[in-house]
Amino acid sequence: MRPHLPAPDHGRMDPAPARYMIRINGHLGATMLSAFPAMAPQHHGAHTVLTGLLDRPALYGVLAAIEALGLDLLELRKLG
Amino acid sequence: MLSAVEDEQRRPQPGEGGAGTSRLIDRGDLVAALDRAAAGKVTVISASAGSGKTSLLRAWAGGPGQPGRLAVLRVQRDQQDAQQFWLALLGVVRQATGADSGAEPPAATPDFNAPAMAGRVLAELAEAPGGVTLVIDDLHELTSPDALAQLTGLLTSLPPRVHVILATRHDVRLGLHQLRLAGELAEIRAADLRFSERETRELLDASGITLSAAGVALLYQRTEGWAAGLRLAAMSLAGHPDPERFVAEFSGSDRTVAEYLLAEMLDRQPPEVQDLLLRTCLLDRVNSELADLLTGRPGSERILLSLEDANAFVESLDPERTWFRYHHLFADFLRLELRRTLPGQVPVLHRRAAEWFIRQGQVADAVRHTQAAGDWADAARLLAGQSFSLMLDGQAQTMQALVRAFPPGADHPELAVVRATVDLAQGRLDEAAAHLAVAEAHAGTAPPDRRRRLQVAVASLQLSLARRRGDLAGVIEQARFLDSPVTGPSGEDIALGSDLRAVALMNLGTAEAWTLGLSDAPDAERHLREGAGLARQIGRPYLEVGCLAQLGFASLVLHSFATTRRRCREAIALAERHGWGTEPVIAPALIMLAATLIWTGEFDKGERWLQRTRQALQTDTGPDITLLLHQTAGILHAGRGRHHEALEELSAAEYLGSQLEGSRALASRATRWLIATQARLGLTGEARAALAALDDQRAGSGEIRNARAVICLAEGDPAAALAAVAGVLDGTAPVQGDVTVMEAQLLAGLAHRELGDQRAASQAAERALALAESDRLILPFAMTGSAGLLEALPRHQTAHAALLADILDVLHGASPAARQEFSLPPAEELSPGELRVLRYLPTNLSRPEIAGQLSVSPNTVSAHIRSIYAKLQVGDRSSAVRRARELRLLAAAGRTR
Repeated sequence: MRPHLPAPDHGRMDPAPARYMIRINGHLGATMLSAFPAMAPQHHGAHTVLTGLLDRPALYGVLAAIEALGLDLLELRKLG
Repeated sequence: MLSAVEDEQRRPQPGEGGAGTSRLIDRGDLVAALDRAAAGKVTVISASAGSGKTSLLRAWAGGPGQPGRLAVLRVQRDQQDAQQFWLALLGVVRQATGADSGAEPPAATPDFNAPAMAGRVLAELAEAPGGVTLVIDDLHELTSPDALAQLTGLLTSLPPRVHVILATRHDVRLGLHQLRLAGELAEIRAADLRFSERETRELLDASGITLSAAGVALLYQRTEGWAAGLRLAAMSLAGHPDPERFVAEFSGSDRTVAEYLLAEMLDRQPPEVQDLLLRTCLLDRVNSELADLLTGRPGSERILLSLEDANAFVESLDPERTWFRYHHLFADFLRLELRRTLPGQVPVLHRRAAEWFIRQGQVADAVRHTQAAGDWADAARLLAGQSFSLMLDGQAQTMQALVRAFPPGADHPELAVVRATVDLAQGRLDEAAAHLAVAEAHAGTAPPDRRRRLQVAVASLQLSLARRRGDLAGVIEQARFLDSPVTGPSGEDIALGSDLRAVALMNLGTAEAWTLGLSDAPDAERHLREGAGLARQIGRPYLEVGCLAQLGFASLVLHSFATTRRRCREAIALAERHGWGTEPVIAPALIMLAATLIWTGEFDKGERWLQRTRQALQTDTGPDITLLLHQTAGILHAGRGRHHEALEELSAAEYLGSQLEGSRALASRATRWLIATQARLGLTGEARAALAALDDQRAGSGEIRNARAVICLAEGDPAAALAAVAGVLDGTAPVQGDVTVMEAQLLAGLAHRELGDQRAASQAAERALALAESDRLILPFAMTGSAGLLEALPRHQTAHAALLADILDVLHGASPAARQEFSLPPAEELSPGELRVLRYLPTNLSRPEIAGQLSVSPNTVSAHIRSIYAKLQVGDRSSAVRRARELRLLAAAGRTR
């Protein structure tokens, strides 16, 4: 038997792309921002807020990039 | 191909790699925590990038009081290939335990047997005196679900004195809850790894940095004790003219800690160092030759060595310091910087790297970089052209990952042959057939220079598929053209052609061998021999082992048991030299060795080889060899008188035989033993029904005639049994070998004995012994229950006294059946009439003589005996006596008058 990783949405179809807001501690410079080409950045105080339309694979890709680059994830929210 | 530098395989040493690592500070509390954790079975260190997992492991490994043996594996980036992971793991374990001295390292195979591999790792761990600590770093890079599942299995069955430490960026899906419940799982998480202010101070001191207490506090606050941040800061601070100002600017900045410090560190490097880092960061590992190539100038070696010495997130992967890798966090930052500042260079660098990897024969890396350059058509051609070599290198899972990386939609017909190869290697036969159809169509339209090779590849894969399906009819004829060499214009083509040709010969010879036809046997031998020779010539031990294993299997059709056994042992010895002793590739030789041992009555030895065959066949490898496994297990049970177990195994073999189109010979062997076993269990109705279901041709074969005789004997009709075997004994019935005639002689002997003709019985037994003599075949005597027949044979009348003594030893010694059968349900109660007859069964009296003693008709005695056999669930007189003794029925029979 080949074990399968359960789908993150518990077997349902991937939901339609949605707008997500991601808040990261600190200001992201040009280099770090280039890791998130599909998201629009804004500085809110000492934080960077990224917003963009993402489907599930893209969302997990963004989270993986945040992890790989050692960024401090503060908040993740689905908008609307 | 697994290169030793792909995964780090050495024990980290403090102070190793220059001055840099000496800056590791003594994080005593943390090391002590790890020490405590190591008292349990498994420790998981789960914390994000740059939190100091690897540094902690180094500090701990270098600390006092460590267990002597430490095996360290760092998982390769994005490791999707379970086999490469396991081979690397086995490699570090063998290195740590010293098991690798002298032996060749285990090599990859096309049909990887993961459970057997996990078993080997466990065995190596268990055998190490004094215990082993196994460290697996960067476990999050392991993305093969198979490998994770197998790793869970390993972690939950660790031998005593073995401890495993897993380091990972995020929690990995491992089923470790049982270990957690048992208190055997310890965890160290990000918060534990965070530096304290005191440790921050110590780190700076160790790096020779002078900073005010306020500066230290500020730095600590800003980095929040993040290990990578502190290390990066220390690097920028070392030699900084005004450390206080650096810290003030850093903490005044709103940029993220990682970006600020990484950019700062990069900016401080001289231009040629920055250029080297940017141009080589696309590689998972780099050496000076590659770096010179990508930067377009010499001198890279000096830069790489000095970067490592400066502890600048660059480290060497081998003791000779030829290969280096960048810290993942640093490499990811550099890649972003490269794409941002030199976007046009990205495909150029990938192409140059791909060319270098092609020259090194490292196909998977070459394909990866060609894909990354966006040259999809080139990548497809490269991958398709090398698919046989990759498959032989055991990289099916890597190939699968490479195929998946192509963008969906824009398909390349070349990839069909790659997909078919992968599907076949992983047992998806229908998908393989579909992709083969596409590949075949594509081969027809390919330019002439590639057409021939594609056709050979397709035909070779079709043979392999047909064999896996057990459907060889017709395929062999179509594939005979594989016999002729594949030639090409260039030397490289000829080398590739040799891989292809050796595979083709193996597949062809194997297909011919498994049809088991006498007419095909010489062809099979010739093709397999030639394939083995070619494989040795081109340095493909896997193919050589494959051909020799099949040759051992095919041997019995033309050669003696002794020759077959010798060939099997030779093939197994070669397989073991490469660490493939329980891989599917050697299974045909394993099962044949088991079978020959069972035939010569060496039941215990045979059983051990049978067990090893079972291990080798844990991965699905097709119905034909699985059939042989069940059949061999069945005859072993039958030889030991365990008829119920024999029935189970033979029924499984029979079912598989019904699924096989092209291996009728193999199927009918199982059928006759199944029928005979049913009869011996008293299931004469079932046996008769199975007999009736056979067509005339099969029913007329010597093997099935023998089975019919066994039914007749079980039914108490020895005269009919004699009639059944008459055609076998006079040579009119077709037989598959002397064994069938030997069996017929024994059945005739048993029938004569039942009929009271001891002289004829002895003559038949003597003839059976004569046939058994050259190969010393003992199994037929055991299966037919001929102990009584042989014991009645006057010793001075046989020319085979030594063999006879051996056989009787086996028949009496190899009978754990006595204990075994106590677990059977109690026999149905015998009637008083049956008990009276039972009393005479241990004697030498024939049925008519028993009838005379009891003053009843011989028919009545026969009817009683039939009924006794059925109720005691036995098939012959000696088993009935043994069973009756076990059940203490003979004593009861003695009281019944």
